[in-house]
Amino acid sequence: MTTTRSMYTRANYDVYQTTMWQMLSDDQCEEIFFTALELLERTGAEVFHKEALDLFDKHGCWVEGNRVRIPSAISQWAVRTAPSRITLCNRNGKRALLLETNNVYFGPGHNNSLIIDPLTGEVRKPLKTDVAATARVCDGLKNIDFAMSNGVPTDINPEVADVHAFEALVTNTTKPILQGAASVEQFEAIVEIAAAVAGGLVELQKNPFVVLYVETNESLVHSEDAMKKVIFAAKNKIPFIYGTNLIAGNTAPATPAGAIVVALANALVGITLAQFVQKGAPVLAGGLFTIEDTENEITPLGAPEISLMCAGMANALHYLGIPSLSFGGSSDSKMSDAQMGLETAFSILHAGMSGANLVHGCGQMEHGLTGSLEQLVMGDEVMGMTRRMMRGIEVNEERLARGVVDVVSPGGHYLGEEHTLKYFRKEFWWPTVINRLRIDDWTANGAKTLGQRVKEKTQNIIKTHQPEQLTEEKMAKVNEIIKKLEAEAN
Amino acid sequence: MAGFEELSKGVIGGNQAKVKELTQRLIDEGAEPLEIINQGLIAGMSIVGARFKNGEMFVPEVLMSAKAMGSGLEIVKPMIADADMPSIGKVLLGTVKGDLHDIGKNLVGMMLESGGFTVINLGIDIAPEQFVAAIKEHNPDILAMSALLTTTMLHMKDTIELLKEEGLNDKVQVIVGGAPISQDFADEVGAAGFAPDAASAVELCKRLLN
Repeated sequence: MTTTRSMYTRANYDVYQTTMWQMLSDDQCEEIFFTALELLERTGAEVFHKEALDLFDKHGCWVEGNRVRIPSAISQWAVRTAPSRITLCNRNGKRALLLETNNVYFGPGHNNSLIIDPLTGEVRKPLKTDVAATARVCDGLKNIDFAMSNGVPTDINPEVADVHAFEALVTNTTKPILQGAASVEQFEAIVEIAAAVAGGLVELQKNPFVVLYVETNESLVHSEDAMKKVIFAAKNKIPFIYGTNLIAGNTAPATPAGAIVVALANALVGITLAQFVQKGAPVLAGGLFTIEDTENEITPLGAPEISLMCAGMANALHYLGIPSLSFGGSSDSKMSDAQMGLETAFSILHAGMSGANLVHGCGQMEHGLTGSLEQLVMGDEVMGMTRRMMRGIEVNEERLARGVVDVVSPGGHYLGEEHTLKYFRKEFWWPTVINRLRIDDWTANGAKTLGQRVKEKTQNIIKTHQPEQLTEEKMAKVNEIIKKLEAEAN
Repeated sequence: MAGFEELSKGVIGGNQAKVKELTQRLIDEGAEPLEIINQGLIAGMSIVGARFKNGEMFVPEVLMSAKAMGSGLEIVKPMIADADMPSIGKVLLGTVKGDLHDIGKNLVGMMLESGGFTVINLGIDIAPEQFVAAIKEHNPDILAMSALLTTTMLHMKDTIELLKEEGLNDKVQVIVGGAPISQDFADEVGAAGFAPDAASAVELCKRLLN
């Protein structure tokens, strides 16, 4: 390309490659962090696990009964000791998701007690086959980076249901998996399966494809179950999320800043305990914020404050160099309608722009009670659009295009230029379920609404997508572990 | 000859240098010029047309393919007498009066040429009288009119009426196209055909001449 640019390279040339939602400045992040430190030092947190209490005591925290007060220096040490980046791999051990800086990865959610049957539309309890279908849909969608259960199976003994969910996921997708469990014993079985698939525990530690999801649902209270799981994950050097679920105006202050302070203080307890157990234990923090909707007495998942608080939390964690988990792509709608579309789109855009590392929750309807694969499929399209926005405007010599502008000359068109040929496919986002046909063609294709097209695509993936299979040898090992577990449970 | 398939691929890939080189090589090896056109260049372009219609290729790629085909034709053409140039029909093409848009119309022209038609492209802002004069001069099988604006598309009707007055409506078939044009509109103004895109326009012309 002809150029007339001089040899001069500008010094300290500012580049804004990607649009970013910087909700909080570094100074504000520091203020939030220091407030959380003060809270942990003054008010402290309740810890209901003997081993954890002993660890806090042994490492210089003040323990009185169940109350643990953590000196600021110890929290700061833990933040420094925890890794600022975690790489998640796919099931084959190939490096896949770099949880660092503002890299954003999307996926579904869990914890919903119902699902919308993707074939019949019936709202019912989730089964193990639904988790398998979720895994296949995650596997078949371009913008979904990791898998989650989208509902714990109810046709399985609850004591081992999470292990079965994990089995359904790991056998139906190669994408990394975020896995929660009702007990640490189930985590043990899940890690055993994951290790068998990875080729041993050390291989799994080196190239982890599973993240254990540990949840706390209260404000500054840490249950025996949660603490056990943190110790287990840290001991085994398996990446885990210490995730909070807070309700602003109920279990946390109504002000977003106050809610983020409490969330961060919660997270610091898990991060610190993990670093006591194993220096450098890979931990992510974050989770879910919602608000108390006092009008309907529910906790919505489509409210704008959720995106706001999640973005603020992601900013604070980025400031601290802790990989983050955030929430986006959910809705309070009951069906695939316009409300679902707009709440999903709005929150995915927001989560993407916030730079949170793992954004989960797409496919969660009606305050998180009901899982919807259609929402996940529609969300995938929004994620594609969001990613195009996030890729921003690349400015360089060739993209500035002065040569081709001169060749085409005023009034001409760029359709037949090499420059267009080189860039039009990659600079433009290409829709899958969004429709841009002329009305004649649209009518000829059945005049389908977005909802219908999404339904068809969802069903099509479930019926036809063939994920890569585990080798027979690995499959046998997985089945063996499940069998052993079943025998123990009975 | 195996070289034809490679030449087709060069056209499909929009690779001008490769098409030039392969065309020249085929000539040197003694291939018939007409076969180079039919089995190599046009064969490649008809695959491009089909892919374009299927949404597998897009306008910028089609244009590059057309350019590649053109670069091959340039070499072969001087070896063939004008009368022997293969043509399945003659199409007179133009954008109607008051309308200066020509991207879509030119694409149609290119696709028609690639499809084996002889195309006379009158350009833009063509008044009904100019269309009539050109028909008298060139004797085309088909008149193809383009319009992008709802205000200018009405001149299609004026042109068709003038053709009738001049008694030319039996000698030439009229087709219309452009963003605001629909089959309903084509029927209303008395056109013989309408195509929603350039690839369909080629099929339409072939159908009309059969």
